[in-house]
Amino acid sequence: MTLTRRRFLTGAAALGATALGATACTSPTTANPGKTTLWYSTNGVSEKVLDQAVRRFPAQHLTPNEVSGELNRRLLAALSGEAYLPDITMLGDGISTYFSATDRFADLNALGARQDEANYLPWKWQAGRSPDGFQLGFPIDTGPAALYYRHDLFAEAGLPAEPDAVAAALSTWDDYFEFALRVKDKLPGRYLITDTKMVFTYSLAQEEQKYLDRQNRYLEDQSQVRRAWDRAVKAFRMGLTAGYAGSATGEGVDRRAAWTNGKEVAFVNASWITGNLKRSAPGTSGRWHVCQAPGGPGNQGGSFLAITRYCPDPQGAYDIVKWLMSPENQAAAYLELGLFPSSPAAYSDPSVLAPEEFFGGQATIGVFGAIAEKVQPVYFSPWDITISDTYTDELTNVEAAGKDPEQAWEDARTAVERLLRRQGVLA
Amino acid sequence: MTAAVSAHRRWKYLPQYLAIAPFFVLFAIFGVYPVGYSLWLSLQRWNGVSEMKFVGLANFRFLLTDTAFWDAIGNTLLIWVMSTIPMLVLSMLVALGLNSSVRHKGFLRVAYFLPNVTSIVAMSLVFGSFFSSEFGVLNWFLGLVGVDPVQWLTDPWAIRIAISLMIIWRWTGYNAIILLAGLQALPQDVYEAAKLDGAGPVQTFFRVTLPLLRPVLLFSVVMSAIGGLQIFTESQILLGDRGGPEGAGMTMVLYFYNTAFADNDFGYGAAIAWGIFVVVVLFSILNWRLVQRPARGGEK
Repeated sequence: MTLTRRRFLTGAAALGATALGATACTSPTTANPGKTTLWYSTNGVSEKVLDQAVRRFPAQHLTPNEVSGELNRRLLAALSGEAYLPDITMLGDGISTYFSATDRFADLNALGARQDEANYLPWKWQAGRSPDGFQLGFPIDTGPAALYYRHDLFAEAGLPAEPDAVAAALSTWDDYFEFALRVKDKLPGRYLITDTKMVFTYSLAQEEQKYLDRQNRYLEDQSQVRRAWDRAVKAFRMGLTAGYAGSATGEGVDRRAAWTNGKEVAFVNASWITGNLKRSAPGTSGRWHVCQAPGGPGNQGGSFLAITRYCPDPQGAYDIVKWLMSPENQAAAYLELGLFPSSPAAYSDPSVLAPEEFFGGQATIGVFGAIAEKVQPVYFSPWDITISDTYTDELTNVEAAGKDPEQAWEDARTAVERLLRRQGVLA
Repeated sequence: MTAAVSAHRRWKYLPQYLAIAPFFVLFAIFGVYPVGYSLWLSLQRWNGVSEMKFVGLANFRFLLTDTAFWDAIGNTLLIWVMSTIPMLVLSMLVALGLNSSVRHKGFLRVAYFLPNVTSIVAMSLVFGSFFSSEFGVLNWFLGLVGVDPVQWLTDPWAIRIAISLMIIWRWTGYNAIILLAGLQALPQDVYEAAKLDGAGPVQTFFRVTLPLLRPVLLFSVVMSAIGGLQIFTESQILLGDRGGPEGAGMTMVLYFYNTAFADNDFGYGAAIAWGIFVVVVLFSILNWRLVQRPARGGEK
């Protein structure tokens, strides 16, 4: 039989169709059948600890898989296709999105999580539980918010510079604004507030409630939002904000430069910024301290591990999760990546209590740990990120485009209510 | 009997059908199905993981009253105009330059075309530090000539200019090459006639070159309209998913992306996609009319 063009094309087409048909019928439910696949985002879990887990749990064939980009998007795609799903997956602070789909996950309480609950921060543990008591997430890290400041510059301005003294002098946001004015006076061209977004975000993080209650009902009383908003506007009106809000890359570039050259004397942020600060401004090593943030304890960010219902061996998966997030391993992850432990036992681990050179010999875990233990349980709804973005967008308009604050507030409220009506939260 | 023949014929042509099948199969899977599905999705409320909820035309009702969407359309068109007009002028100048007797023509052509094949993401990151308000190269240059620094990434108009500059940088060379090809195809005798009649270079350009280049220019406008309606990456990398202050960098496609993939609002995202579709159709009709016109004029 000679190979004519027609025969070749027929053969190729048949082969293609067979291949297409074969793959369509055999796409597996989990990403690596027979193995336990774990999805984590970059720097979300310590890879050193994961490596140890692979060796420690040979029966489960743990296969860690780093998801670059948005893990959430990939998970949603896999869930809709019910194919190539992970057995264990990381979830961010938008975990409540999945509370409406708990049938796709394993209830950790059925796997023995109740015995482990006591070892973790109660508010964090609760954040991983759906309103009807389904334990979806196992806590990874938290984001206690503290005040980062340049003690050398505070001292230069003749102001208190030791953490306890600073914390005592700056217990409220109003204190902080007054203090910022004094620093501005003594050290012109420097600032203590990155942008209005910083004030709004961390002020709201200190409140007992955000926008919705645990039944996803829009709170009648949104005065906490208004409080945070007014504070942010006040800081702007006093001329205390640095004013490079709104841009994704410019903000990063300008802010990092401001850390390096000392223009940003202090700022409030969750603990996860430490790694970024160290990498961006290595020249300022030894000149930073941290202390309690003005306005009280608050949390921003933090992740969870969840087990999908497609996992053939949920008990084995739970054993891995529990071991990965043991206090010792959380301490290791903190030292490696700055992931702040959700288990208070890790705060007294000898390895994390060593003086830190970057922070001028301070052991920062004491400061962050004390904040983390005082954080109040707050419900983070599936729409919180969008709602917060709507408010901070309008604050940016005030700050960068000269919009009237009252108009901006009205516009933000209208946009939020429209969003919630579209989502069926509001009638 | 005819049926038997046609059946026989069908079998006879099977290899031909099979040969053209891959396109249609792939188009059905990756073209027709998603289009149909997005129409279905636009009638639902869906966060990507819970049960879909049928909401009828509610998403479209929201879309019509959504100021953010109308702003995004306006922004997209604004950025398109702000980038296309200077870009066409610039590429015309570059094309004229390359068409005259300069040295290293080949090298220059490649150099002008290079921005077009550079990764937009890498480019946007570079431009990000370039436009940085306090430590950016651009403001440093402006400072040298005594101009106050511009808040490139926070002032709404500066944002639009910044995005337009990126588009201009990327597409000037591409269009210059196309215009150059057009210039080289122009007949020499009309130029000789113009010279004999005593037309200067400026007159020659406006009276001879430009009218003759009309079809090529229209092609460039149409191509840039197609690109302009899809502006996305520049905004997203420079300003993030939400388009920066006053949503100045919020384009139609970025708004769609942000709603569907950042806010997990897939139903409304699909409705926005259909809104974009309508805008693109209207634009295509406009373009088509524009291209048809010279043909009608020629018939007279």
